[in-house]
Amino acid sequence: MRINPGKCVGCGQCRVFCPMGCIAFTRKDKGGQIQCRINEDECVDCEVCLRANACPTDALEQPPAAWPRSVRGTFSNPLITHKETKVPGRGTEEIKTNDVTNRYKCGYVGISAELGRPVLGARLRDAERVFMVLAPLAVEFEKQNPLTSLLADPATGKLKEDVLGEKVLSCIVETIAPIERAAEILDALDKVAGEIESVFSVDLISRVEEDLSIPALEMLKREKRSYALNGKINIGLGRLCIKGADC
Amino acid sequence: MSHTLHRKGTTDNLSGDYVMLAMSAKGVNAANSSRALKDFFSIISKYDWVNMGEVKVGGAYVASFQDIVGGVRDTSVAHAVFHDKDEFARVIAEVKKADLGLSVTISGLLGIMNEVLTATGLSPHTVEVSLGIKGKTELLPHSDLLQITTMCGHGMVSQALARKTLIDIKRGRISLEKATELLATPCACGIFNPRRARIILEDLMDTWCMDEP
Ligand code: SF4
Ligand code: SF4
Repeated sequence: MRINPGKCVGCGQCRVFCPMGCIAFTRKDKGGQIQCRINEDECVDCEVCLRANACPTDALEQPPAAWPRSVRGTFSNPLITHKETKVPGRGTEEIKTNDVTNRYKCGYVGISAELGRPVLGARLRDAERVFMVLAPLAVEFEKQNPLTSLLADPATGKLKEDVLGEKVLSCIVETIAPIERAAEILDALDKVAGEIESVFSVDLISRVEEDLSIPALEMLKREKRSYALNGKINIGLGRLCIKGADC
Repeated sequence: MSHTLHRKGTTDNLSGDYVMLAMSAKGVNAANSSRALKDFFSIISKYDWVNMGEVKVGGAYVASFQDIVGGVRDTSVAHAVFHDKDEFARVIAEVKKADLGLSVTISGLLGIMNEVLTATGLSPHTVEVSLGIKGKTELLPHSDLLQITTMCGHGMVSQALARKTLIDIKRGRISLEKATELLATPCACGIFNPRRARIILEDLMDTWCMDEP
């Protein structure tokens, strides 16, 4: 995102909307016109400032971004649909359609680390650090996840060199593994946490067994790991044929 | 895209926060699913929702119900937020009865959601839990502010906006109602819960100082 200096009147109305806090007041000389300027290295091209419709002079402009800058918008602006997943935002359908996709099968868990969430945003180099501690564990990285497509070498977890410095609002390292591997994946995430320059939020996905037991949650208890009281449940209403779809 | 997970809060204020999401699966049953998604929104509209939306059009604080429904495509993800658990249970019961075939995911306090599912004769298919935040947590803003900002899982509600609205309320520059509406606008999916934000802000007004970090 850029501010057109020919249009900006320095009212500051846009600043408060920026999740990255990267819009600052500036002026050329003492006594000169105060304007706002975006620190483009910190800006993640989320377009929140633009959509806020706060600018009285239409000074905010989103120029087309060339590679590798283009990854900022595709991960940070939920209005952009990823070419790979056809899902807006930075992830996959994960549990939301598991009742028809069976992406997470009984006996397996999904464990994800969402870099930059909450609030801070993250450089993709942080995502690489997470990939690199998980890759030796031979976990499966979710192919549908757009971050996975940035891997240069899935065996080592190295990302494409030219994207490492790019900053995004968030991006998700998404894994699927047999439940027996869950504890070591979580241990690896604990270990890498000390090397991360930002933060990441961790989640765990599990199928519910027919007797309504949830083995992954029992595993968490055994491992003395706590989880939040609020969570997400797919309630199993999905059908292969949707009403009115003539199938 | 776990955008309705990781909402921070207390058991007390999370007991007024339930999100419902409906969608079809790309490449599986998405073709011609838009009619069912519109039917889903029609059901929602009969109940006491506090927000709703679809990311390409926006939430109910920036778009009208007609615009939201009009913008529905086969690939849309329909969202609705409720404050009252009994109302939420009634919506789930009607969505179940409608048998739209869409995948439906709910978010909220796990204990209450399980109670509601049992009462409506449903059982969970897959669950997702939050294991917390790791890394440089010392860089995060005050946990009070996180309760507000994490209600937009895409991170569109800035900490600066949360801070400013709180201070403006304290200074009498903006009403609580206007403040919560303003906070809901950046959340493009319509999953921000302004009713819960109001409860949080009311509480913080008494304890929050102008110079909080
Ligand atoms: S595009 Fe996003 S990060 Fe960049 S200045 Fe605007 S609000 Fe801030
Ligand atoms: S709102 Fe527009 S005119 Fe005002 S400071 Fe921002 S870019 Fe400049």
